[in-house]
Amino acid sequence: MEAKNSGKPILQFAPFQSSVDEGFWHRLSSLKLNKFGIDDSPIPITGFYAPCSHSQVSNHLTLLAESLPSDSNEESSEPGVIRGNRNRCSVPGVLYNTNTVEGFRALDKQELIKAEAKKIWEDIQNGKALEDSSVLSRFLLISFADLKKWSFHYWFAFPALVLDPPATLLDLKPASQFFSVKEAESVSAVLNDWRDSSLTTDVPFFLVVIDPNSRATIKHLKDWETCQRATDHKLLFGFYDPCHLPKNPGWPLRNLLALICSRWDLKSVRFLCYRETRGFADLGLSLVGEAQVTVPQGWGDLHNTPNAVGWELNKGKKIPRCISLAKSMDPTRLAVSAADLNLKLMRWRALPSLKLNTLSSLKCLLLGAGTLGCQVARMLMAWGVRKITLVDNGRVAMSNPLRQSLYTLDDCLNGGEFKAVAAVNSLKKIFPAVEAEGVVMAIPMPGHPVPSQEEQSVLDDCRRLHDLIDSHDAVFLLTDTRESRWLPSLLCANTNKITITAALGFDSFLVMRHGAGPCSSSHDSKSEAANALSTDLNSLALTDRNGGHRLGCYFCNDVVAPIDSTANRTLDQQCTVTRPGLAPIASALAVELLVGILHHPDGIFAEGEIANSSNNGSSEQPLGILPHQIRGSLGQFSQMTLVGHSSDSCTACCSIVVSEYRKRGTEFILQAINHPTYLEDVTGLTELMKTAHAFQMDWDDGTDNDDDDCVEI
Amino acid sequence: MEVLSWDGTLSSRDFQVAARAFAENWKQFNPALPPWTWVPCLKQPSRLSQEQGYLSLEKICLLGSNKEHEQEDVDEEEPEPVDNATLVESAGPQVCYYDFHIAYSDSYRVPVLYFRGYYIDGQPMAWDEIEKDLPACSSKVLLESKWTFITQEEHPHLNRPWYKLHPCGTSEWMKLLFLGDESLAKNGVAVEQYLVSWLSVVGQVVGLRIPFDMLNHHKSCN
Repeated sequence: MEAKNSGKPILQFAPFQSSVDEGFWHRLSSLKLNKFGIDDSPIPITGFYAPCSHSQVSNHLTLLAESLPSDSNEESSEPGVIRGNRNRCSVPGVLYNTNTVEGFRALDKQELIKAEAKKIWEDIQNGKALEDSSVLSRFLLISFADLKKWSFHYWFAFPALVLDPPATLLDLKPASQFFSVKEAESVSAVLNDWRDSSLTTDVPFFLVVIDPNSRATIKHLKDWETCQRATDHKLLFGFYDPCHLPKNPGWPLRNLLALICSRWDLKSVRFLCYRETRGFADLGLSLVGEAQVTVPQGWGDLHNTPNAVGWELNKGKKIPRCISLAKSMDPTRLAVSAADLNLKLMRWRALPSLKLNTLSSLKCLLLGAGTLGCQVARMLMAWGVRKITLVDNGRVAMSNPLRQSLYTLDDCLNGGEFKAVAAVNSLKKIFPAVEAEGVVMAIPMPGHPVPSQEEQSVLDDCRRLHDLIDSHDAVFLLTDTRESRWLPSLLCANTNKITITAALGFDSFLVMRHGAGPCSSSHDSKSEAANALSTDLNSLALTDRNGGHRLGCYFCNDVVAPIDSTANRTLDQQCTVTRPGLAPIASALAVELLVGILHHPDGIFAEGEIANSSNNGSSEQPLGILPHQIRGSLGQFSQMTLVGHSSDSCTACCSIVVSEYRKRGTEFILQAINHPTYLEDVTGLTELMKTAHAFQMDWDDGTDNDDDDCVEI
Repeated sequence: MEVLSWDGTLSSRDFQVAARAFAENWKQFNPALPPWTWVPCLKQPSRLSQEQGYLSLEKICLLGSNKEHEQEDVDEEEPEPVDNATLVESAGPQVCYYDFHIAYSDSYRVPVLYFRGYYIDGQPMAWDEIEKDLPACSSKVLLESKWTFITQEEHPHLNRPWYKLHPCGTSEWMKLLFLGDESLAKNGVAVEQYLVSWLSVVGQVVGLRIPFDMLNHHKSCN
């Protein structure tokens, strides 16, 4: 803009720029939460600035944590504001922080800037500005701290009293071109002294007086009366200029000119824009200029505050600014990045092949939220698994919190919260970013007949379980009865899901991974025509893709159908009757086994390995061996790894059973539930048992009947 | 101290001695660069009676990075009287600022470099933005080296997340550094030298250069 006034350009000032350190917002948030609450009275604050020290970048008015009053609750070890810091000239300011964004927008900006301008005007009139010149750069800040989203809306105003008509520029050049060589030397020296002395280094306005012998001295503003009497001396008004521009002085000059105008009635003002490089006065970067000023009409009436401008522009527009600090202030985000960091460190230092993405996107289904379920869930989170679903139809009982690590006494009250629900709440308290879901549901069990009126709900549960298993990537069988493991085992075998079983005895445990199901390829079971059973059998295989035997499931180990087995309990004890140390051990092994599967190139089809001295410590895989079964005993403090292959009479995963399920769906399940011996009949186990029993009887009786019925075992 | 029997670490008190010596020497050999300042911190009184603190080098500005930094733009323009005396500037090049702190790690007993980047309005820079400002060879070093790993953790004194070079390999490579240098190995470990040598390695990752003069000066002093 070049509107001319008596032929000379208008003096244009580079606006002050703001810079707010993150620490300022941290402290403001803390004060809001701990001290101020909803009180929105204005808060006195301190800004800091220094002369420009870079030829291409201006300095800013900076706000730091120290700009705010101290928060005594905060365990901060930061130093307080120290005077005499050459890089921090203090400037007084005021903060209006609102409680709502509407309140922020509704603030009367004209009134606020007028009020601050009035303070500056009064300080000029009553002489305070001469004693403590930093009040000339008084500023205003309005803000709204959104402590839910951790974003901060704010707007600075640097009130400058407007000269009307505006000052015009008679001359402006680098200081090195204005001073003679001798003068320049002396001026530099005294400026550096001024900056080196802790008494004056943060005094941003001063007088430069040069005597006829080219010797310079620096005086305080208040000494002007005395200095101006020496008419043969050169006198310049100096100020710390934050601006770097070669053709414009910085903002602080505006109120200095207003002071000079109002108090001393000069017609022309010679000024020095003081700028530095590397801590020393830089007369090439610094500017000396001469401005012509006219005292505005109306300034004679001292009670009338002049107009002021100075709201900071945001990219050229008169709108506020907004900063988001969620990443460094939101506790949930901080927890998430800390957790990620832990795993990344492990990958860097010990396990470069760690598949962090696989783990974080894995969907785990935990059937059972008891002693095993709680521990498995925690271990999964420690490995970076975020998506966990827990299925349990029980409520938390008074004895549970001792052994089931996600529950506390509160969960037991008033009849007890549902375990699935309480477990999810607990997981979220431990790690807010977990995506946990609870399903309150009973698992249908074979050999536990249902009355006809409940049939539909049982079928619904079967369907629901089928869908749950379908929609997850890994399934943990963590219930405390054998029968409850049957249906999940079948469903997992049907879809080749990664399945991990953990079962506890009084002082022993079993942790194993189920082998792949009997379907060896991407065979679409739904699109089949209804073929004869034999054709179905042909398309299914006992062997896996590689031609080897597939590994067994939990039921392959037993040649007994999972009927209601209250009598023969070796495994699957109720949790209260096991040695407490077992569940954490078994749960931990179960999760480590899963991680092993995920990192094995063959995944669910991996062969079962056994720990022995030959592969001790030098396994091919970075995580070590991948066993099929781990059986441990606390009585011996021992543990061994085993391999068991699938049985073609297995009631859960043999090809007959799976194909029956595929053909007849929930009808088949219902039959198994209602008829205790159905599964044994279907798999041919009944026949097997009959002949074995008969053989036994013959032997005892010593008769020769039915020799032909004997079957080689 | 004999290099061979030394484990590469530094006591807390030695760190402070080393820090002050380092700051002095930096000023001497790098008058063109801003100086490192020692920032004392008073921890809770129940802790050690001795003062703790860290070295600080702040507001190093980097011009002309071509980063996009947009702020939210939801409000309407506010009316204000037009003022001819206000210069309306066109937007200059994007400026980023970096702060570097050297603090002491009690658990690893070595110095740790903390750093952060931010825009002038205070908006912190994310790691992928900072990475663009690192010297070209540094990203390679970060990926391949088993000694350097950048993490984001709470600053020990400021309680805010800062980036840092993880200290778990430091004692090992400091020992190697001293063993590999004849003059150092001969004259034993001088505490004053620790930080210069340390920064000559660590600084490469973040682009802080140590002039050779500073390194050689120490060697010749010993």
